[in-house]
Amino acid sequence: MSVKAKPAYPFKPTWCTGCGNFGIWGAIKMGIGALGVPKENVVMVYDVGCSGNMADFNDHYGFHALHGRALPVAAGIKLGNQDLKVLVIMGDGGCYGEGGTHFINLMRGNHDVTLLIHNNNRYSLTTGQMSPTTRKGTKTKSTPVGSIEEPFNPIAIAASNNAGFIAREFAADIPKLSARITEAMNYDGFAMIDILQPCPVYNPAMSYEWYRENVISLESEGHQSNSREAAWKQAMRADKLATGLFYKEDKPSYHAQVKNLQQSSLTKQPISDIDISSLAVEFK
Amino acid sequence: MSMNTFNWKVAGLSGEGIMVSGLIFSKTSSRHGFYIFDYTEYPSIITGGHNTYQVHAGIEPVYAQKEKLDLLLAMNANALVEHLDELTSNSLVIFDSSDDKINIAEFNLPCKSLDLPMVKLAKEMGATRLMGNNVGLGASAYLLGLDLEILNSVIHDIFARKGQEVVDLNHKAAKAGYEFARNAKAAGQLGNWDFAAFEKQEYPESRVTFTGNEAVALGSVAGGLKLFAAYPMTPSSSVLHYLAAHEDKAGIVVKHAEDEISAINMALGASFTGVRSMTSTSGGGFAYMTEALGLSGVSELPLVVFESMRPGPALGMPTWTAQGDLQFVVTASQDEFPRFVFAPGDAQEAFEMAKLSQELAEKYQGLVILLSDKYLSESRYTAELAVTKLSHERHGFNQNPVSDETGFYPRYKIDKENAISMRSVPGQQGGEHINNSYEHDEYGLATEESQMRISQMDKRKRKLKLMKSEIPQQFYSGSLEDEITFISFGSTKGPLLEAQRQLAANGKKVGVLNLTWLSPFPIEQVSKVIKESKRVVVVEGNQCGQLANLITQETGIKLEENYRRYDGRPFYAEEIIKFINK
Repeated sequence: MSVKAKPAYPFKPTWCTGCGNFGIWGAIKMGIGALGVPKENVVMVYDVGCSGNMADFNDHYGFHALHGRALPVAAGIKLGNQDLKVLVIMGDGGCYGEGGTHFINLMRGNHDVTLLIHNNNRYSLTTGQMSPTTRKGTKTKSTPVGSIEEPFNPIAIAASNNAGFIAREFAADIPKLSARITEAMNYDGFAMIDILQPCPVYNPAMSYEWYRENVISLESEGHQSNSREAAWKQAMRADKLATGLFYKEDKPSYHAQVKNLQQSSLTKQPISDIDISSLAVEFK
Repeated sequence: MSMNTFNWKVAGLSGEGIMVSGLIFSKTSSRHGFYIFDYTEYPSIITGGHNTYQVHAGIEPVYAQKEKLDLLLAMNANALVEHLDELTSNSLVIFDSSDDKINIAEFNLPCKSLDLPMVKLAKEMGATRLMGNNVGLGASAYLLGLDLEILNSVIHDIFARKGQEVVDLNHKAAKAGYEFARNAKAAGQLGNWDFAAFEKQEYPESRVTFTGNEAVALGSVAGGLKLFAAYPMTPSSSVLHYLAAHEDKAGIVVKHAEDEISAINMALGASFTGVRSMTSTSGGGFAYMTEALGLSGVSELPLVVFESMRPGPALGMPTWTAQGDLQFVVTASQDEFPRFVFAPGDAQEAFEMAKLSQELAEKYQGLVILLSDKYLSESRYTAELAVTKLSHERHGFNQNPVSDETGFYPRYKIDKENAISMRSVPGQQGGEHINNSYEHDEYGLATEESQMRISQMDKRKRKLKLMKSEIPQQFYSGSLEDEITFISFGSTKGPLLEAQRQLAANGKKVGVLNLTWLSPFPIEQVSKVIKESKRVVVVEGNQCGQLANLITQETGIKLEENYRRYDGRPFYAEEIIKFINK
């Protein structure tokens, strides 16, 4: 048996030709680069999916979570060490399906993490089944006669569920996406970017061309990003998929409201000097 | 009635202050320097159910609740119906005929009773109906020979936060009850009933009484816990409640997560940054957490999971006790990895093992499951907190991680001499690696390569040998002369020790081997005790004999005799004795 040579580190992407993840990956690297933060202070938390395979393609500290569970891990990392920048990579399946409750509940707490949803309307890693964002009537491997469910609307949900930073961008518009990622990572709170991602293999109908014809930028519409109502209205429109910053509001993040995290992160609080005598009093 | 103990119970409608009245009486007993064991029962409904709080106290250690009562404080007629069987000719019942229209003659009590107008006396002094409970406590104190001053000190401590007026009214109520009972006895209303009161004992500085859950919470803080994330589930919830209420004083962060899956993954996220973390739940929530146990295993992340058992399957009986999750927690996960599973037998052990769990999770970079049950979690025990100032060293952190030519740090370095590899944490330059749910190489990057898979599995398994070296002697109270050796785990320790004492008083010698280490398993000691015993009986709270099966699996010894119960109720010494005398 021959011993294989060590592969080059990090590993090279294994995504299909034409995958939207290539563009997003490039935008992430540019977006992080523009932050000016030391490499070791950026932690990337990956969900399971084609996007999550990026865990092996980056050189930051990484946590490849269980399917759907990247957000609670990210919130836990931030509660442990608030001095880190935490970037979460999820797909539409993991974020809006398997981990939907974490998406809904952690945005309410304004945990200071940046969430990128690689939304290709399919479960592509598991070969193309329906996802929460698949349009009604779509034939996939798990819905051969057409899906019955109405699609999930993440932007409308976020707008009505107190998310502080809500954006959507197109995977192929790398300059705009990378700038948005930097902006989101500089935001003190829960920042989500729903990224429109073509999957030429399992969702060929929604091709790069299709997206170019169907997206419209919020900027061109004169959208004001300080109004939840306006954000919700744009999220609900049926004619086009709006991209850009839907909503942004400055408010304190979760850890900023926790008393024991006011002075320093938990990682900086020593356990070499614990005194439980005052706690014992009530048991007398 | 055994010498120098009393067995007192208050019973009534849940929502009418039964729990706090019981706690006051328990603390009063404890502050007399007595050892106590409190047992509570309540139904899984919001209001209107039957609620009991029992205090067994004595000048020698008491280990469990007792069936027969010395004094029953019946707050309504139903309490008399429910607990008639627990009365003997030596018992005394306190009731209030004016409050619940009780005609005591209808109950055919086997013992004397005292009609105490608790509500009327309370209302006469301008107190509320519920403050009438303190009239009952005052009378109880007189009849069992307790010091009114000490009862008043406890009432003060419990009600101080409600203001001096409330404290004063409760003091007045207690005094009224105390005097009413004294006058009734002096007037001969109790006939020949008497209680041989015993002397106050020394009350050591280190003495506390707490429930198993409070012990787990405090022990975890003592062990360096920093991040606690949980979702409530009876009977584990009081760990969350205690830690949330004491977050500031304990210097920790408590997060009530949206579900158990989130809770355990948050704890793992925090653990990745290097802080000691923990979650807690009961069987149903533990089932949700199962996938993440494997994540702790494969990525070698320290994690403590507290699981307090109740009867199942599924939602079972929320407020009752059981030991039916043993087999589940010992193996719960995809595939295999080493873990610690501890089942403390009383609150003292719960405190010590919770502290130890924080330490061992970090030292062995993996999972510790701390197993309890409703009986241990919510019963109150006497314990000693000898040490309240603690200092912990940290284990397994590389202070200067250096990435190699790959650009990554070999967090999961294969080293046959050292099973435990050094960690790096985010923020440390040169320590970059992936904490991976997938099988991974030395840097944490995903791999499906055969040899690396074997190497990483073997690396994790190598920790088991070191983990085994930590196994202490298990609690064994017995000798070669014992007619019977009982083997149990966790909270069954108390009733067995109580049975042992009662049997010894009648000249019958039995031994108790109670296991608190279930993984890794104390094979040598258990095998030795079994081989040297005349007759072994395994006592456990499940239907199919999960401990007996585990013993067979680990030692190869098959054990035939057992005593099991799975009706949600705890073991009683009296019933254990009945069983062996059968």
